Amino acid sequence: MRRRLSAAYEWFDERTAIRSLLRKGLYEAVPVRGAWFYTLGSATLVLIILQLVTGIFLTLLFVPSVTEAWQSLNYLKEHDAFGSIVRGIHLWSAYILLFVIGLHMVRTFFSGSYKRPRELNWVTGVGLFVLVLGMAITGAFLPWDQAAYWTAVVVTNIPAYTPFIGSFIRALWRGADTVGPITLSRTFGIHVWLLPAILFPLIGAHLALLRKHGEFGSYINYRGAYKSREGVDVPPAPAQRPIEPPYPAAPSEELWAAPLQTEDFYPHQTFKDGIVSAALVIVVFILAVAIGAPLEAIADPATTSYTPVPEWFFLPLDELLVLVPQQLIPLVLVLPTGGVLLLLALPFIDRGPERNPFERPAVMVPGAFAVLFVVILTLLGSGRLFNL
Amino acid sequence: MIALLALIAPAFHGLQTQLPAQAPQGNNIVGAQIAIGSLFSLHILIAGLVSGAAELGPAIEFLGYVRQRRNYDRLAHGLGRFITYYFSVSSTIAILLITVLLVGFWGHFWTTIVTIGWWPLFIEAWTFVLQVSLAYLWYYTWEPMRAFKGVHMAIGGLLAVASFLQVYMIDVIASYMLTPTNPQNPVRLALNPTSYPLTVHRTVGNLAYIGFAFGGFCAIRYLRAKTAENKRFYDWAGSFGLLWGVSMTLLQPVVGYSYAKEIQLHSYGSWYKMMFGSLSPVFLWQITLLGIMFLTATLYFARRLRTDEARGSGILKLLAVGMVLTTLLAAQPYALGFSYETVAAAGLNRPFWDGGLINPLGSMIPWKVLALMFYTLIAIAAVVWYLRGLPGVVWGSARRGEQRILMLMTILTMLMMVTMGFIRENGRGPYLISGEMTIQGQQAVPSAQPTPQSSP
Amino acid sequence: MGHRDPRRLSRRQFGVLGTQVSGAVIAVLLGIPIVGFLISPLFRQQQAVWRKVGDIAGVPDGEPTKFEVAFPQDVWTTAEENLAVYVVKTGDNTKVFSNVCTHMQCPVRWETALHQFLCPCHGGLYDINGANVGGPPPKPLPQYVHRTDGTTLFVQNRFTEEI
Ligand code: HEM
Ligand code: FES
Repeated sequence: MRRRLSAAYEWFDERTAIRSLLRKGLYEAVPVRGAWFYTLGSATLVLIILQLVTGIFLTLLFVPSVTEAWQSLNYLKEHDAFGSIVRGIHLWSAYILLFVIGLHMVRTFFSGSYKRPRELNWVTGVGLFVLVLGMAITGAFLPWDQAAYWTAVVVTNIPAYTPFIGSFIRALWRGADTVGPITLSRTFGIHVWLLPAILFPLIGAHLALLRKHGEFGSYINYRGAYKSREGVDVPPAPAQRPIEPPYPAAPSEELWAAPLQTEDFYPHQTFKDGIVSAALVIVVFILAVAIGAPLEAIADPATTSYTPVPEWFFLPLDELLVLVPQQLIPLVLVLPTGGVLLLLALPFIDRGPERNPFERPAVMVPGAFAVLFVVILTLLGSGRLFNL
Repeated sequence: MIALLALIAPAFHGLQTQLPAQAPQGNNIVGAQIAIGSLFSLHILIAGLVSGAAELGPAIEFLGYVRQRRNYDRLAHGLGRFITYYFSVSSTIAILLITVLLVGFWGHFWTTIVTIGWWPLFIEAWTFVLQVSLAYLWYYTWEPMRAFKGVHMAIGGLLAVASFLQVYMIDVIASYMLTPTNPQNPVRLALNPTSYPLTVHRTVGNLAYIGFAFGGFCAIRYLRAKTAENKRFYDWAGSFGLLWGVSMTLLQPVVGYSYAKEIQLHSYGSWYKMMFGSLSPVFLWQITLLGIMFLTATLYFARRLRTDEARGSGILKLLAVGMVLTTLLAAQPYALGFSYETVAAAGLNRPFWDGGLINPLGSMIPWKVLALMFYTLIAIAAVVWYLRGLPGVVWGSARRGEQRILMLMTILTMLMMVTMGFIRENGRGPYLISGEMTIQGQQAVPSAQPTPQSSP
Repeated sequence: MGHRDPRRLSRRQFGVLGTQVSGAVIAVLLGIPIVGFLISPLFRQQQAVWRKVGDIAGVPDGEPTKFEVAFPQDVWTTAEENLAVYVVKTGDNTKVFSNVCTHMQCPVRWETALHQFLCPCHGGLYDINGANVGGPPPKPLPQYVHRTDGTTLFVQNRFTEEI
């Protein structure tokens, strides 16, 4: 039996070179110190795959129509316990994904991983972040209950404040002047085809770039970190010690090119990755079973008693909507757009070699300010909603 | 004395049934108000420093540990010393406020608020105990526990948490007085409409305040310092304090604006009074003062960099000019009289070129909002360029001018704290608890919120 | 290659050009229908429909009263959609408001205690005449195109002004 199997493997390998592929994939060198923080990327990956799988199975039932979307989900809720869990996983893993992708971003910002030669790792990352947010928002429209309907109304109305072409963009998304059947069809298409069709190839690019340059990790793994320490000698240059591929695959500052100590991706890093991802998936599962995904009453444009409440990840923007006075409403567009542009520009603005976050206050302080700004808006927003 | 403090709230809770329902009326209400007002100002000035220090100190210690910098450790230790000295002063004033003035003059109010805010006040009392014990522990175990820095920093962390809780609990009471909610529900009470914004506003404010305050203190020490080592330290610490203060103050326009928004939604009368009524001149002064503070900080940055010929002082000077212009815009009065209310009452609420007394350039929307945004943006730019220039600075070489600016900054901040306190305490008038209890009568009056009107 | 006449296409350049042209042809042939398909709903005139609201003789003076009217959704679905209609009588004057806030189009409601229309999303306020008097809304509350027949009110699924 064993011999048969290994013969089959040989046969397969001859035709696909699977062995060397696996070896390349698994036995790559990764930096040793701070490895728990490097699990955030793979956790994001696992959660997004969870989304893909549960999402595919949800389409086996969901009907994207204003009359039947709600009914189909209500049927799920009333008559299909397992289906409800799948829907619950889809919701909670989305929430946790947003959280984890944020942490992943903060950690790569903090460690200066976006610097030469990894600028495009960061740029593709920003693209992924925007796409994931887009997935979250478009997904929120689909159940066509009150929450979904009013989210759709408010969110599609925000671009209407773009100068000159505002109402055109709004109508393009809505497929009409008001939110209606075409809005739901279009948003469904965007959510299940358009965005994933960009998102998943981009993840491929993100990971290919990661493999090309190797995991940077964090400053504590590098000779450069010793430069600013008083009374400690800088360890020897890579020329004097063996250095594993892929470091340094591309031109990079000498002090920050190769980690001092590496180990194999498999099983050392994958062990940590596995623990973190499994823990997150367990949390998602518990939330999906215990709380599940809510479904409010069916959409009713004529309501005068329903109070629309935004999704939590939308809260900072909603708080801006409250704060920005009528004459300045386009600010609500300018701030997030400007934020994304700044993020894209970051690796090209902060070009110095230094990776130690404490030696880069000119980036860390504004970064911290931006994060604080969003956190404070969220706090204020939740306080406001609580007292509605 | 501390034990007494922890006991005091429960004791009064028991007493409330025996106290007269009506305060001694009429004879000296104004005197009492002045006494309470000035004591409150003093209390805010000192208590803000203590809680700011108790939150910032541990953070600086942690930073020093991570970066292995002696300066940070020394600075944090200094803040610890400050807390242990001034804690007693601040709590004495707090007790004086509670016992003599509140209970004495406004007994009915006090018993009401103790009944309503029983839990917050109870926790408040215990945070005092916690804060003082942790502060002493943290300060006096500094050297002995050098080998156990982790444990020591954990004590500091607890101290910071206790201090935050202390601010939060008293804010629950203070914000309830402005925007009352159903007091039966402790969660509603703790999360009443303005408790969130007020707590964020105050915590950030206290943190900024302590930064500016020790900046000024270090300036004095720098001028008197004899050794090169001390000069280096105080020069650095002064700059650090100011930088920290500005970074925190940067958040205030956003927080303060949301705070005002909540007041507008939930306590329209107070809001009207602050924005258009008798308190509006104070508000105008406040936004102007904010500009002056940012300007002063930018000037310090520019000068400090120039002294060592580090790069960036030119840009900082440009930013200072921008700050002057923004401050001039922010300082435009809307009504060219005492307040919009009086101008409107005289029927002169039209632009001055139409013979009225209104200056459209002083309107909140969009001009003041724009001014606040420019304040924030310019100040961020100033902080960034100062940080970029810092590697070129040699600590210990600052000149007198910079140190004078640091001292001026401390004075400006204290002015700001007093202004804020004044607005807060007077915003509710004539109510003690907005819409429910007046200062004179101290008893419940039917909720008579003025109906919202068109906001000009 | 230097000996060739530079004005003549080399075989290689011809290949490049051919590839590019083929790509462009495919892109254009695909692009035109797709873009047209995307924007076609924008050019379709929405059909104006009159619907009866009801008898408004009983609507009290100075107290906005809410009616619900069903309108067709104007595409493939036969299901109709209920819209809210606020009828406001002040003296002889009758105004017919929608519940759509001009800020982000949340559902506005009449608050008797405030004597104003309140938008629960961001706290927008409109007075009884529909004027935007507080909060972020940039325009007055939209009014329906309407007519009365005696005391019976009819409205169209159209506002007097675009929002
Ligand atoms: C769908 C979303 C994403 C997935 C699946 C993903 C996945 C990963 C993985 C598996 C890694 C390697 C492990 C690690 O360092 O954590 C990584 C690294 C990285 N990611 Fe992402 N990521 C995503 C989004 C983002 C975002 C939003 C950003 C930032 C804007 C970002 C920036 C980076 C950078 C700069 C690295 C290199 C880190 C280093 O070499 O030290 N990624 N990503
Ligand atoms: S949607 Fe009505 S105030 Fe924003």
